[in-house]
This record gives sequence, structure tokens and C-alpha cells, in this order.
Amino acid sequence: MLTVEGLSVRAEDLELVREVSFGIGPGERVGLIGESGSGKSLTALALMGLLPDGVTASGTARLGDRDLVGVPERRLKDLRGRTVSMVFQEPMTALNPLMRVGAQVAEVMTLHGVAKGRARERAAELLGRVRLPDPERIARSYPHQLSGGQRQRVMLAIALANEPDLLICDEPTTALDVTVQKQMLELIAEVAPALLFITHDLAVVASLCERVLVMYGGRVVESGPLREVFKHPRHRYTEGLLAASRLPPRGTRLATIPGAVPAAGRFPGGCVFRDRCAHATETCETAPDLTGPEEPTGPEEPTGPAELTGPEPRGDGHAFACWHPRG
Amino acid sequence: MSGRRLNLGLVTGGALVGVVVAAALVSFVWTPHDPTLVDAAGKLREPGGGYLLGADKFGRDTLSQLMVGARTTLYVGVVAVGIAAVVGTPLGVAAGMAPRSRGWLSELIMRVNDLVFAFPALLLAVMLGAVYGAGTLTAMIAIGVATVPAFARVARAATMQVMVTDYVLAARAAGRRGPAIAVRHVLPNIGSVLIVQASVSFAIAILAEAALSFLGFGTRPPTPSWGRMLQESQELLFSTPRLALWPGLAIALAVLGFNLLGDGLRDHLDPKLRSARG
Amino acid sequence: MPSPAGTPEADPVRAPAGGPAREPLIEARDLTRVYRRPRTSLTRPGEAVHALKGVSLTVHRGERFGIVGESGSGKSTLLRLLCALDRPTSGSVTFAGREVAGLPERSLRFLRRSLQIVFQDPMSSLDPRMRVRDLVAEPLVALGEPVGGRVAELLDAVGLPASAADRYPHQFSGGQRQRIAIARALAPRPEVLVADEPVSALDVSVRGQILNLLADLADELGLTLVFVSHDLAVVRHLCESVAVVHDGLIVETGPVDDVWEAPGHPYTRALLAAVPTLEGLL
Repeated sequence: MLTVEGLSVRAEDLELVREVSFGIGPGERVGLIGESGSGKSLTALALMGLLPDGVTASGTARLGDRDLVGVPERRLKDLRGRTVSMVFQEPMTALNPLMRVGAQVAEVMTLHGVAKGRARERAAELLGRVRLPDPERIARSYPHQLSGGQRQRVMLAIALANEPDLLICDEPTTALDVTVQKQMLELIAEVAPALLFITHDLAVVASLCERVLVMYGGRVVESGPLREVFKHPRHRYTEGLLAASRLPPRGTRLATIPGAVPAAGRFPGGCVFRDRCAHATETCETAPDLTGPEEPTGPEEPTGPAELTGPEPRGDGHAFACWHPRG
Repeated sequence: MSGRRLNLGLVTGGALVGVVVAAALVSFVWTPHDPTLVDAAGKLREPGGGYLLGADKFGRDTLSQLMVGARTTLYVGVVAVGIAAVVGTPLGVAAGMAPRSRGWLSELIMRVNDLVFAFPALLLAVMLGAVYGAGTLTAMIAIGVATVPAFARVARAATMQVMVTDYVLAARAAGRRGPAIAVRHVLPNIGSVLIVQASVSFAIAILAEAALSFLGFGTRPPTPSWGRMLQESQELLFSTPRLALWPGLAIALAVLGFNLLGDGLRDHLDPKLRSARG
Repeated sequence: MPSPAGTPEADPVRAPAGGPAREPLIEARDLTRVYRRPRTSLTRPGEAVHALKGVSLTVHRGERFGIVGESGSGKSTLLRLLCALDRPTSGSVTFAGREVAGLPERSLRFLRRSLQIVFQDPMSSLDPRMRVRDLVAEPLVALGEPVGGRVAELLDAVGLPASAADRYPHQFSGGQRQRIAIARALAPRPEVLVADEPVSALDVSVRGQILNLLADLADELGLTLVFVSHDLAVVRHLCESVAVVHDGLIVETGPVDDVWEAPGHPYTRALLAAVPTLEGLL
């Protein structure tokens, strides 16, 4: 349904996202994992056509039969909210503080041609659908009268208002407490038509998604079915990230990845992870391809010389971009 | 991203202000002619022949007057803004730092401020002029006092923002007390806001001095002042518009220069913007 | 005394020091804190918010004590009261037997010398206009103690090069900034290090480095650690004891392993159930 091929995002001379390719099927829930600076949010913004000034996207992204990248703003406005919509991290700043919540939900529908009265009715209905108690009363409230979790539900109602084909969530629960987060994740899983869920939290992805993409340094370094990737990570970054996410009881040392995530544009050439990787060799100065059946260009052989122990495609949809994979 | 990108506003503003300052400095040692020399023969002399911008109805050289007038302008700006900053900043910082338990202090400072703010600067100058005699000094004090509330308000608002930051909490936890926090954390962090306020106030002071001189409550003759040059050119506005044009242009460019300089400095002084990711 | 002997992976070197008779260092008794919202009416005072409703706890010398709670639970208020950065409405806080609640700043030098804090967001807790050298030295300067070569020593202790001293905080990554904040907190050789969510603003790949560093420093310097977090798993990794704060009250307290294995209060159970984990998958 959504097909992204060779999506790159650049700002002036910096390539912030490089050649990202993936697909999302109808009803599928895909997690996009990455730390700060990985390019995960830019990828989402590129799909929404919401990149900041001076930042441009290239490549193709098609949702159904519609192009999302390289389309004039006028056309995008129509797509945005109707075929793709997005829930952001910070629910307070994403809502207009001077407008009643119901009116804000209704507004996104009238923008796309729904009659005013009908939109108001639907707004209350949607607020109920995101399981807000007493939707009529919530519709008359202002954002500051709601809790963080309630506001995020309102954002979700707004995102769902025009029955989009794809919902993108960018860290929607990061600002929420864990008890509220749990309910929100369950709700998202229930209502999302097809989902691209962006987060830095591996455990959140594990509780929600069927497939994952792991991004680092603006590239997808590993992708595949969630269980497969989390149980048998192949890329050394994924391996390190999973190890670092585990919190053993007291008295044991935590696994860490050395160094820090570089600032945008400061990632090394070749494999973007090689400056933090214990397994890096000279081979890693050449960028490894993301190989496996996920490669949308078809099951091509790795481009490197045959002697190199490059990544081998596997039959289970598990792909990774690493010269010295685990296992 | 090598080197520091120079900000266009800063360069333009700096250049304009630089010209004003240079003109004022040069005028101490040299002007084309004596700016106060009345020369009946050279009355309304056209530009040219040693009188680059011509002469006024008393035959005084316009360029020389402009140069010496720049001195007056800067003098007024520096003193007025100085008064406003020296009085207004501590008041604003004190009001902004006052803990909730001493909210009355903050309230008192700000209500007195409002009172001064509500009083028109020109009226204050006219009153002071009536009591102590009109002159540059009276004008400067009046403009300065009238600008205090603007400084106090900006300083208070900026201080309140700084006071809720974690680094102020961290400084308290480190054992810093009020005065040290004010000097080490608040002032450096509201500095850029104050500089912008100073440059805007400077521009306003220049305008106010010009207006006062135009009304006859500012700089007394024969000391040249841009405002008074405007006033004297008033009756000849249609026959000899250049007499109004030059001082008007000088005021406009000086005001623009200070405004641009203020904006440019704000960006330039911010260490985050200065060497972002660096 | 909670014995970690039952958990075979516990490393004896990192096990809590001291015997069963450790002396209390920080004691809070019946702390309450009521905030008033700004008044919205001329006739009525602003609405009262009861952030803490009577909290008592004891942190022993050498202990690693965790405080767990969600936003709005009152844990931040509690932390501020324990550090004498705010005054309680009622109740008392003593440090090594001396009352600290309600004292003016000038009488708190003994506390500032002995107790230092690491804040959640190292970007906002470090003054952006100060160089690292001045940031790290600030507690010493504030206490009127000589700085000498201490800055380089401290930077080394947290794994930063001495050259870091001449740079500004924004030139560092999040994890490095938190190291700077830790170096600063350690400057006056405090007995107690209070850490307020020190890793929740950090990337996962860096979190472990900071938690390991805190554990190492606590061991080497014999620090008492008060660790505030929303994440019980992080507290379980680092602390021996825990207090779970909910709605202005401590709903459960005890050895962290006991609370983790068999939470007694419904809220603790709900909290544990809500934390997403990887354990089931792996």
C-alpha cells in the first residue's frame, strides 16, 4: 500500500536521510526505531510533505496510486489528513489553546469538504472512538482543561477524522506516563488503519508492531519481522541497542554502545556505525547495502566482490546492512 | 560550515552606526567649515565648491553641522540609554527574581514603573525644561527617565524566564545565593535581550531628542543638532527641501543603524547560534 | 537489611556497603506541600493543590535509594524538599540530624557541601553561557573553596578529556553533558548525590554509560545515592531500596527486589504491568 523507494532528505550539503526504502501493507503496523539524529522523524515529515524550509526530499513514496514526495504543496494539502495523517510527540503544542477541542476535530473535516453540522456530530463520535469519557463534554473543553493523555487522544481523533489510509505516529507516548502510555498504545493498535510508528523505545515497538525498521545515521540498517529482528539481530547496532535496552538487576553492569550518536552530518562514511562498532574493519569503509528480500529493487546480489563476506539475502524478509553481521 | 557566517543586518547596522560615530569623532578635530559661523554672503549656498551639501539660511555649512550634530545625537543616546539601563535593569532583575513570598516587591516596582510609563516622555521633557531650563542635558535626563520602565519591563520578563530554568535551580543547589545568581546567571542570559532593548531605546532617544530640539526644548542654539536643523529648515521646506532632507536622512539612517545593530548583535552574541554544532 | 544473596548474579563488590545498623542520613517526617494556584477571582484565593500529603522516609548513609513516581505524583516536590530547594508547608527534613526545612539559604552551606544534585535534562541544567570549566567549578566557588586542579580531575573521573573545560555545553552530546553535570555535582566531594531522572533525556545507547558511571562513582566514593525516576526497572538496576510515590503519598516502600517481585500496593502493580518490556520476546 505504502511503497517508499530511495527516499533521501537533504539540507544544503548535508544528507540527513539516505536511500530509505520500505513498504507498509494494509493494516500492517511497522515500527521505525532510531535514536536522536537517526533521521526517523525527518523520514516521517518527508512522507507528510512537512519538511522544514531548506530541507528537501527526493526519491519516491507512493500511497496507493498517489505520490507523496515531489508533489506540489497544493496537492499535498489535500492528501495530508485525508490519506496520511500524523500524531506528534507533544500534544500541548500541537493543539490550538484558544479553540475548543470539538471544533478542532471538526475543522480538519470541514477543511476536506465535510459540511459543518455533520463535522460537529462526527467530532463527538470520534472523541468517543478514541475512548474519551463523556465525549460531548470533552468536545466543549479547551486543551488546557485536559490531561496529557486526553490531549493525545484528541490528537489521535484529529488524525483519524478523515479516515486516512495510513497513520504516522512520531513518539506519541514519549511525553506520557507509563500507565497512560499503555492505554494509548492499545488504542493506537486498535484504530490505526495502517501504522508507521516512530520511537526510540524498543519495548514500545515490541508491544505494538509486527515489523521494524532500525535507522541509524539516516539509513535503515536493519529491517524485518519484529520477533526475527529482536531475537536474532544481525546488524551490530541493533544488537547493541537491544543489549542496552535491557536493565538487569542490581550488581550487574549494563551493556553499552561506546561513544555517542554523532551530530547530523558527522557520521562516518561507509558504514555509518563503524566508528562505534567493535567489529569494524577496513571493509566497513565501503557502505554495505541493505540486503534481503526487503530490497525493493529486487533480489539482486550484493554489489561488492564475491570474496567479501557481505550480507546474504535471507528468505524471511529480514534485511540488514552490515559486513560483519552477528550470528 | 567553516568560519563564522557574518550576519548582513549586523554588518549594515554596524556600518551605519560606524559612519555616525566616525563623523562625530572627526568633527572634534576637523570639519569642512565652522559649523556655527554665520555667513550672510553664503546664505542658502548651493552644494559645491567646498560646501559639499550647501549651506543653510544663515550660511552655515550643512555637512559641518551634520558632523557636529552626530556628536549631540550620540551624546544624548548614550546618556539617556545609560540612565535607563543603569536604573531600569536592576529594578527589572530585582522584580523578576523576587520569590513569590516577596511578590509585593515585584508588584511595587512594576506599578511605579507603569506610572512613569504612562507619563509622556515629551511632556516630562517640557516640564523639566520649564523648571531647569531647556537644554541637551534636560532632554537627556527626561528621555532617560522615560525609558527606564521599558528597560525594567524587558529585564523583568527575561529574568523571570531565566529564573525558572533548571540551571538556576542547579546553581541554587550548588550553593549560589541571590546576588551571585543575578550576576553569574541572570545578567549574562538576559544580556542579549538588554542589548536589543538598548539599541531600540537608542533609536528612540535619537528620535526624541530630534523632536525636542524641533520643538525648541532640546539642544539650544548655536550647538548643532539634527532635530534643530530640521526645525530651522521648516519654513524653507518647499523652496530648499535639501535642508530638511539631509538631517532627516541622517536621523533615519542612524535609527535604522541602531535597530539593525541590535538585531544583529542578538544573534551574534548567542553562543548557541554562534557556533552551532561546533 | 535486604540481602542480595538470593540473586546469584549480584556482584559482591557492588553489593551495598555497611552492616545492618546503618545510621539514618536523610529523614523526612510528615512532609506536606500545598501550592496555591494564582487567583482567578477577586474574592476567593487561588485553588489549593496538595502536592504532598504527608510523606515520611529515611535514607541511610551509603544507601542507594530510589524514588519512583509518575508526573504529578509529587516526586519532584519531594525531591526539592529533600534538597531544601523549596519549603514544606508542614513537616521536617533532617540531614545528619540537622533540620534543613525552612532554613534560609545562608544557613544551608553544610547541606550544599554534602548534598549535590544531577538534574534530568543536562541541556537545560547547564547555563548555556558558561564554559564547562566554570560550570564544574561553580559549587566550589559558591562554597568559597579553592578550585585548583579539581576541574581536570573531575572531568577525568567522569571520562571527559581535560580539553572539555574550555568549551560550552552545547558543543557536547547529551550523554557528555550529563557527565559534565555529574562532574559538577561531585566537585565539593558530597556525601549524597541526588539524581533527578538523570537518564530519561538520553538515547538508549548512552543511558547504560551514565548508569554504569553513577554506579561506579557511588562505589568508589562511597556515595549515598537518591535516585528519582519514573522507571522502576532503572531503579531496580541501580538501587537497594525504593519508595513508590503516587498522588502525594508514598504508597509502598521497601527493598527494591521485594517491591519488584511482589508489589503490595495496587498502584505499584499497575505501574509494573504498564511498563513495556522486551523480556517476553527474548
